[in-house]
Amino acid sequence: MEYVNPLTGFRVDGRRPNEMRQLKGEVGVVARADGSALFEMGNTRVIAAVYGPREVQNKGQQVNSKDALVRCEYRMADFSTGDRRRKPKGDRRSTEISLVIRQTMEASILTHLMPRSQIDIFVQVLQADGGTRAACINAATLALADAGIPMRDIVTSCSADLNYIEDSAGGPDVTVGFLTKMDKVTLLQMDAKLPMDTFETVMDLAIEGCKAIANYIREVLLENTKRLECQRDH
Amino acid sequence: MDHHQRWHPTVNEREFIERALQSDLRVDGRRPFDFRRLKILFGREDGSAEVQLGDTRVMGYATAQLVQPYKDRPNEGTLAIFTEFSPMADPAFEPGRPGESAIELGRVVDRGLRESRAVDMESLCVVAGKHVWSVRVDLHILDNGGNLIDAANIAALAALSTFRRPECTVGGEDGQQVTVHDPEVRDPLPLTIHHLPIAVTFAYFGEGNIMVIDPTYKEEAVMGGRMTATINSNGDVCSIQKAGGEGVMSSVIMQCLRIASVKAADITSKIKNEVNSYTSAKALQKVKRLPASALKKDNAPDVAMKESSDGALETQSTKPSSDGQQINKEPPSVVEDNKQEDVEPMLSECNPEAQSESRLTAGGSDETQEAISPKSLKDAVKPKHKRKKKQHSKINV
Amino acid sequence: MRDLQLSLNQTQRVRLEAALHELQTVAPAAAVTVADTIPVNDEDNILKGHGTSDQDGEVVATLCGVVERVNKLVYVRTLRARYKPEVGDIIVGRVIEIAPKRWRLEINFSQDAVLMLSSMNLPDGIQRRRTAVDELNMRTIFEENDVICAEVRGFQHDGSLHLQARSQKYGKLERGQLLVVPAYLVKRRKQHFHHLEQYDVDLILGCNGFIWVGEHVVVGENANMMENKLNLSAEVENFTPLETRKHICRLANAVRVLSALGFTLTVELIIETAEASVSSNIEINNMLGAEFYVQTAEREVKRRADLLRKKSGGR
Repeated sequence: MEYVNPLTGFRVDGRRPNEMRQLKGEVGVVARADGSALFEMGNTRVIAAVYGPREVQNKGQQVNSKDALVRCEYRMADFSTGDRRRKPKGDRRSTEISLVIRQTMEASILTHLMPRSQIDIFVQVLQADGGTRAACINAATLALADAGIPMRDIVTSCSADLNYIEDSAGGPDVTVGFLTKMDKVTLLQMDAKLPMDTFETVMDLAIEGCKAIANYIREVLLENTKRLECQRDH
Repeated sequence: MDHHQRWHPTVNEREFIERALQSDLRVDGRRPFDFRRLKILFGREDGSAEVQLGDTRVMGYATAQLVQPYKDRPNEGTLAIFTEFSPMADPAFEPGRPGESAIELGRVVDRGLRESRAVDMESLCVVAGKHVWSVRVDLHILDNGGNLIDAANIAALAALSTFRRPECTVGGEDGQQVTVHDPEVRDPLPLTIHHLPIAVTFAYFGEGNIMVIDPTYKEEAVMGGRMTATINSNGDVCSIQKAGGEGVMSSVIMQCLRIASVKAADITSKIKNEVNSYTSAKALQKVKRLPASALKKDNAPDVAMKESSDGALETQSTKPSSDGQQINKEPPSVVEDNKQEDVEPMLSECNPEAQSESRLTAGGSDETQEAISPKSLKDAVKPKHKRKKKQHSKINV
Repeated sequence: MRDLQLSLNQTQRVRLEAALHELQTVAPAAAVTVADTIPVNDEDNILKGHGTSDQDGEVVATLCGVVERVNKLVYVRTLRARYKPEVGDIIVGRVIEIAPKRWRLEINFSQDAVLMLSSMNLPDGIQRRRTAVDELNMRTIFEENDVICAEVRGFQHDGSLHLQARSQKYGKLERGQLLVVPAYLVKRRKQHFHHLEQYDVDLILGCNGFIWVGEHVVVGENANMMENKLNLSAEVENFTPLETRKHICRLANAVRVLSALGFTLTVELIIETAEASVSSNIEINNMLGAEFYVQTAEREVKRRADLLRKKSGGR
């Protein structure tokens, strides 16, 4: 199967090789949550809700009282993929992704400002079409910012792959989580064999994607902040 | 939760470790990019290995079973990694359900092996769509001294490298009958391993400016972030796992990868040496018990006897499987990789020429002919055909 | 539109959008998002306050909000966030646990707040040491799920937040509604207790975003309550006139509409909104409908425009 048409230079879905999918971000989609966001990258849709900082519910989990405890739960809706079958809760894949998202967000949350408390991040994949991990991190960033949780930097994530194919096709896939302001990579996941210099190109491509997403996310947040402030009165 | 009860360094310990690292010193006296002492031990049976990396001890055990393949991949075998974090190794490991870190470790090792197609899956197919070998590697953490991923990865590779699956032939009127041969009758076959993806873990301290390789338990408790790069001796990146934590510059990541590829080459040769000495020792053992098995075998004894002088064990097994494997061998990924693989003598048995060449350099004898001669063995076992009903079904090696 | 599920028709949507758009043209705020650099014009000894951090010599925001400057102090005022307590704040909270010598309250902060038995006036009003008997009788004062009004006393050494209720005006709130709104919609003012005489209703605007609308209680009545309790049957005690109940509901709905629109909640605005609903003959249950929502937005736009005109006219 050809992923990039050799004649036209377009991908299967009509994009150019280095073109990103349509982004859409919206904050405040879950009424009861402290912060929430919906994030779309093309046909991938993810919803994230943040509760907290709030009292630690299970004191046994508290590592120390100086930092907030961050927890994350990743779920993939049964209807999010083409084949609709019941997936057991807490399978190995989602447990790992929960861990990855948690640690990525922890890298940017200023946990020491919220001692003796816990922050819960829930991410749910509503529709999966490649790059769910990246979309989840972007949604979580939006939701955390919406909840007014202090963060060092905006973490965004983007995946890129050599053949520009989707996840499921099994091509080499690189997911990068990027701290934009600090210009540092916090998350990096890659499967499949690649020579080192090819890998560098793919990683750089993903980093460029992260930067573009960061710009978009900031726009969304800034617009939301302005709207709230203006409505509020002075 | 798995960080329950995990050891927490005191403020002084934390500061001491960090300060020392700032002046390129590590608490155990290593330099930043040194691995701890690596020791690989093999069990009595094929496919079991114990790896000691400093204080860390991990046991790997490979087994195989005939199963139905997945529908989307009817002509490929399967490989699965299972991890067992025994509470014996670390009080932080809870008995029962595997914790987050156990799952992460299993996934990292699994991805490194599988996505890079290190083990040839197509050669594990017996009857397409019906019977394939399902290889399972169990990784038991015996002692947690830090850097479990690297140790577990080496244990998995060592176990897979020495693993032998029973030979089986397809026959019967419909050509669908599978005969699994007793290891006593026909020597079991090794797996086709194209390359060894080695996991190399880096720990980051400070604001991602200080990094060390192969962190110990104490360093892990202090570190701000971690990255595991799985890389083979050719310098191909097979998988990377940096699950959040302290951010690092992309240039630092590339630097890490270059260091990792050097380390990977070291470890690869270490594993290969250990595996080779194990297999030759095993072959020597075989000579001793040959008289007993010679009664069963027809013309095997003299072949095996000759081999023993050199210690090449795999010889017999080469031919029957190599026909099928040669075709399927090429992974459909990047073309240039395969070239490199051909040049490098691999642990694979699919190219007997390369295999015997490497032996020659070591032993220096003319076993190349023998290596091909026992092909005829295949026909010799025909009389045993009646037995197949018994042996067929399920085999655990 | 977090709390209200509205189905606006086409006209209403256009009107609402026009109104909200109007609001946004009024004042360009110095809004920042996470990781934005805050320009400080190379001023020396800038004090970096809440929501800022120092990264390579730059002042960087760690929150989304509005940059505020007070002399040398630069800080980011957040909008949607949990409540940040300050000493002396009047808050409304809900008891979630009774622990030895203390109650734990949920007040929309990152931890539960603590109200010590010793930090509150006893029902008999006598100043004395708290005895073991008092401790056993804690549940007769406040039970789980009771709504309480108290004052922020401060952080203890262990980092926990303590409250106090050493006045007649604090204590258990009954016969009313508790509304939870984002904390940034309540401004700190001199007065947070409001007795709306025309309705015979108490309105307490807790700084933590918990708002109480309830039947008016005569201060000092609490003290006699214990005695009264013996005499009065539960029915009589819980009796609230229907008229008052309607007022409570009307005010509560006004708060709901205003908070859904994201307008700062002041007594004046709440009353004005409630009055407007009466004058335009909107039933209490229809106050949460689309039409009143849009009307409220439009009224607010007009009010602010008038205010602005007055200001500029005065100059």
